[in-house]
Amino acid sequence: MPIEQDYSKTENGTQPVESDNQDSNKTPTLPSFTANKSSQTVNTLWRTLITPNSPNVTPNSSYYELISFYVYHGLLVLLYFNIFIFGLITFSINRTKLWFFELAYNPSKSPSVISADISKLNKIPKRISVILNLKPEETENGGISGLISDSSEVCAWVVASGIKYLSIYEYGGELKNNIPELRRSVYKKLAVYYGTDNVPTFSIKVPHANAIYYGASDQDIDQQRYKNTSYKPILQIVLLSNVDGRATIVDLTKVMADLTTTNEISPKDITVKFIDDELKQLVGEEPDLLILFQPYLNLQSYPPWHIRLCEIYWEPDNDAVTYPVYLRALQKFSTCKVNVGK
Amino acid sequence: MPDWMSTFPGYQQILENCTSLFASVVRTGPVPQHIGFIMDGNRRYARINQIEVKEGHNAGFESLARLLQVCYKCGVKSATIFAFSIENYKRNSFEVDWLMELAKMRFGQMIEKGDLCEKYGIKIRTLGDKSLLPRDVVECLEEAERTTANNSKAVLNVCFSYTSRHEITTTIVNILENVKKGLIEPGDITEDMITNNLYTGDQPPLDLLIRSSGVRRISDFLLWQCHQEHCDIEIIDTLWPEFGTMQMCLLLLKWSFNRTYGRKKYRGKKETKKEKEKST
Repeated sequence: MPIEQDYSKTENGTQPVESDNQDSNKTPTLPSFTANKSSQTVNTLWRTLITPNSPNVTPNSSYYELISFYVYHGLLVLLYFNIFIFGLITFSINRTKLWFFELAYNPSKSPSVISADISKLNKIPKRISVILNLKPEETENGGISGLISDSSEVCAWVVASGIKYLSIYEYGGELKNNIPELRRSVYKKLAVYYGTDNVPTFSIKVPHANAIYYGASDQDIDQQRYKNTSYKPILQIVLLSNVDGRATIVDLTKVMADLTTTNEISPKDITVKFIDDELKQLVGEEPDLLILFQPYLNLQSYPPWHIRLCEIYWEPDNDAVTYPVYLRALQKFSTCKVNVGK
Repeated sequence: MPDWMSTFPGYQQILENCTSLFASVVRTGPVPQHIGFIMDGNRRYARINQIEVKEGHNAGFESLARLLQVCYKCGVKSATIFAFSIENYKRNSFEVDWLMELAKMRFGQMIEKGDLCEKYGIKIRTLGDKSLLPRDVVECLEEAERTTANNSKAVLNVCFSYTSRHEITTTIVNILENVKKGLIEPGDITEDMITNNLYTGDQPPLDLLIRSSGVRRISDFLLWQCHQEHCDIEIIDTLWPEFGTMQMCLLLLKWSFNRTYGRKKYRGKKETKKEKEKST
């Protein structure tokens, strides 16, 4: 490394002097390219051909720098290749593992199987959150219909595990645009699990639009029951998307800014607890467990305020919404210990 | 790496040369500009190896120095470490006192001539609520900031008495105070304004967040910075004091690989399909 740097320094040091000399010899009217000899032209052409697209190397770099760049970059590509091969191996191992899990744990659309699995655990989360991805339509379970059926499947598992709060995050907010389909789909799925006579009640909340929907449809006979304000449905579903993240915090700041200009609040009164309470109202409570149904950990702009202490679970190389992933997340959660700072 | 290997003569030299070679190789591809570290597992390490808790913290610091060397060699511009959380005041007073002592000692050590900071031109910045800290520690931190203020090659952010929620709140309060003074119109507040006013506002966006000891939680660290798609989060199972140079190299390489060849993202594909339909 040091040798290389020294070399480049001398290059840079000498070059400007030469060009100065050339400039002073030339008449200013002549275009500069006429001064290029054919050998120089070939040289520059060749240089631009072999100069890589990298900020480390400019077309003015010396040949030494270029050659060392290629040697090192070759080594890097070789290392990339190794990572690729290693990735293929781990991918097949992980996929085989997931396949076995799928054989081993099958909810077979029966809540009793799920609650038997859950009852073995020491503790379960109070609030659960999942990140779902909209997949391209040509893949299995892709498109909006796939997203809706995945969400309703998750709802059924959550009800069967005895958890009352589920928030579903989807980056683009497609679920929010398809509320009627989602309501029907969730109802149908719960009916498959619990039988048509005994469908658990649920509500779907869209915090961003400040809307709440009860049951399968507004014409439902059950609506009478929901009219009673003290009645709490068995499952509360909250739909989130990227607008509930940073954008909501920005909006909250704007509202508070308006209030400070009219002297209704003072900046000194704003504490962590104050903002926390406001965001609880605007977005919802922080979940205890966040499950990602994607091959690697990436939070995709999930509301930043709400990931402080929640346990995050994802299964490497998995991209399907399957019951074993959900169950393993709960199993992992039951063993983990949260000590806030202690 | 087994322990006996490190007893060979010239081992340190070879290791040094290897990391230099690796750095020149990695520099030819993309390199994360800003890395965050959550240093977890010092106490567990102490318990497993049956040493005192403070020895565990010591080992953790050595590990940090090792990793920072690799990072800065490879061209990382900025590193942020989570040294002490506001929640950590809940620990027993002996440990808190010892951590404060350790911080004072290590900051002194880092800014000594010829050590890490001078070698790589590191500017130290401390992020957090200093009003909660004892006076002598604050003086020590400020001393470190002053001595390294002229270094410009790389930045080391030390989060001391920090939580991310506190950071976001402080930023919002600062903005509101400016609004009250009439410097900012309420309508002009944007996402970027908050991002730029955070403690890390003047630094490149966080590209990689590494958490050791296999705990899958963010624990109130750089929440605003890490939740977006461009930031990868790596959770490794090794305890922090055992986190070695080799593993760091592998993580950098993995990040670089994922950036070059891209991780598959579902988003956006739908739109291209719709566009196709429109065009046909």
